[in-house]
Amino acid sequence: MRLLLIEDDLQAAEYLIKGLCKNGYQIDHSPDGRDGLTKALAGGYDIIIADRQLPHLDGLEIIAALRERNDRTPVLILSALGTVDDRVHGLQAGGDDYLTKPFAFAELLARIEALNRRSTASAETTRLKVADLELDLLARRVNRAGRTIELTTKEFQLLEYLMRRAGQVVTRTMLLEGVWNLHFDPQTNITDVHMSRLRNAIDRGFSKALIHTVRGAGYVLKE
Amino acid sequence: MTDPGPTEAGLTEAGRGKSRLGETRRIEAEDARAPGPRVEPAPRRIRLSSSRLALLLILIFAAGVALVLTSVYYLTARVLDREVDAVISSEVAHLVDDYSRGGLLQLVSTLRRRTDSWGRFGAVYLLTEANGYPIAGNLAGWPTEVRIYDEWVEFEIDASEAGGIVAHPVRAQRFLLPGGRRLLVGTDILERRRLASRLRTAMYWGIGSIVLLAAAFGIAYSRGIRRRLRVFATTCESIMAGDLSQRLPMQTAHDEFDALATAVNRMLERIEQQTRVLRTTFDSAAHDLRGPLYRARVRIEETLRHPGLADGSRETMEATLAELERVQRILGTLLQIAQADGSAHELPTQDVDLGQLARELVELYTPEASERGITLVYSGAETAATRGNGQLLAQALVNLIENAIKYVPAGGHIEVSIARQPDGLLLSVADDGPGIPEADRQRILQPFVRLERDRDQAGSGLGLSLVAAVMRMHLASMELLDNQPGLRVQCLLPSAAPGASS
Repeated sequence: MRLLLIEDDLQAAEYLIKGLCKNGYQIDHSPDGRDGLTKALAGGYDIIIADRQLPHLDGLEIIAALRERNDRTPVLILSALGTVDDRVHGLQAGGDDYLTKPFAFAELLARIEALNRRSTASAETTRLKVADLELDLLARRVNRAGRTIELTTKEFQLLEYLMRRAGQVVTRTMLLEGVWNLHFDPQTNITDVHMSRLRNAIDRGFSKALIHTVRGAGYVLKE
Repeated sequence: MTDPGPTEAGLTEAGRGKSRLGETRRIEAEDARAPGPRVEPAPRRIRLSSSRLALLLILIFAAGVALVLTSVYYLTARVLDREVDAVISSEVAHLVDDYSRGGLLQLVSTLRRRTDSWGRFGAVYLLTEANGYPIAGNLAGWPTEVRIYDEWVEFEIDASEAGGIVAHPVRAQRFLLPGGRRLLVGTDILERRRLASRLRTAMYWGIGSIVLLAAAFGIAYSRGIRRRLRVFATTCESIMAGDLSQRLPMQTAHDEFDALATAVNRMLERIEQQTRVLRTTFDSAAHDLRGPLYRARVRIEETLRHPGLADGSRETMEATLAELERVQRILGTLLQIAQADGSAHELPTQDVDLGQLARELVELYTPEASERGITLVYSGAETAATRGNGQLLAQALVNLIENAIKYVPAGGHIEVSIARQPDGLLLSVADDGPGIPEADRQRILQPFVRLERDRDQAGSGLGLSLVAAVMRMHLASMELLDNQPGLRVQCLLPSAAPGASS
């Protein structure tokens, strides 16, 4: 998978490139907005990672220019502007995801993975299935190995979120954003309790666990 | 990160637009910022004092005009009365003189001569015997139904005129002649009465129209003052909401209000300048701190990924990473407080269902609370519409709930509730934990202020400050109260009118 990183902080860029390469991504780097847009328009990238504040053209302007040319390549914005509102604004401007600096590298990896899946995943599904776990979006029913599992509305949403991203790491921040629509990090790891409850509901009494904790990153639902 | 300038514009430059929080006319009931002067709801005062002034003006005018016109009326009436009385008295004296010189015959002949001219001059004469039998004059008999004032009498006689019979008022003097005969000399005072009544009418009209004029002027004047003061008040409110670029409007009149506006505007200019410097400094400091923080974090993470790292070093590195996260969080919260306080008018607002938000957040935190043995419940309105920044309101609620969970011991209770009240939405987070001593309740809202007993607890002392800033931004009042026992944080938010979601 090919990534384009548009970042003027060279030290940080170097580290990101190193880390992403280690994780099997092919990565090009551009140190300013104008050069970045040229490269992005040349095409061939699966995901663009752009800093929000760049020389010449900022991240949001790059998105605007791409979308104007009907280029739908997913863009992940990195920003030192970290107030709640900057995030929301960044997403409204057409960014596909937004990460506030400083962030954990694992968070970036999870986001890239999620964006990559999103660009390939089919949109309209009414039934999600992972191993013997089935989720019916229309009837709002969950069963595992034929056994009905009772979930609260939020637990259902949480499970849906995980199943739509089966096999990929989902971070706590992603859960807060995606399930609770909270675009800020609370002090406590509030999602952990909910995940353990969901885990109890899904995995207890079954020999094979489907929800796994990824240390230092988040959770993954997989066979 | 070499060019932080232009992209920071959103934070450093106060926009010219009106507060997007809309026409909220409420003022914070209790300034949560710091111990400072209480802000009174100004517009109410203005209405009272200016209309009171108008009323007073009208009353003074009316009283003055009434006094002047009434005196004019009475003086005129008295002058007219005196004149009539003098003419009659001199006529009586003349006739009495006739009588004493020429006796009855002389008097009767004079009276005959005089009465020939009745109708032209309106003079009334009557001479009677002691028993009341008329001897001469133009009256058939001594008038009945007279009003008597000593030797003066007033009565009415009927006279036929073009329009029919008209009652004419007559004022007359009676005189007892030597020998018991009685003389009555009077004059028709119809014209005089008419004049007086016209004068009275003129007086009433005069008073009425002047009172009306005064009232109109007074109302217009007080309206004008009120309008200008209201513009001042609205401008001040939008300045309080964070838009420091607003100025009090000037008129071309160069009056006292313009002088006041000039002074206030100069003050605002100065404040805005200082704030701008402060904010730019703060923004660039925050921004410049994020760079190194980011790189430090990046390095530590990289080091941590080394498989050959000694266990002791790993622990140190992880602890350092945690500290960095703490610094990052403090910085983030400070930025958010600054944004809520300084550029609230630039933040987008939406219709927010506070009831739904509170219910969802309580649901989010219930498992966490119950793991600590705390009961967390929501009670109150299912839905409660307000307008504001949804994320910041959520953040404020989260801070309040997390705060309560942090300080309430196991077995405690936390109740989040929202009540729709006539003056807004009352959001309250109440617990039965240790509470906050009364003396510290204002202080604790300031950034970095923490209670002495919580020194060993984790926390930055920014949580409640952010709540206070968010509430200020939403023109809501915030109070910390004694829940007996425990703490009750109460915020009164403006409610959005139902259906006003355009």
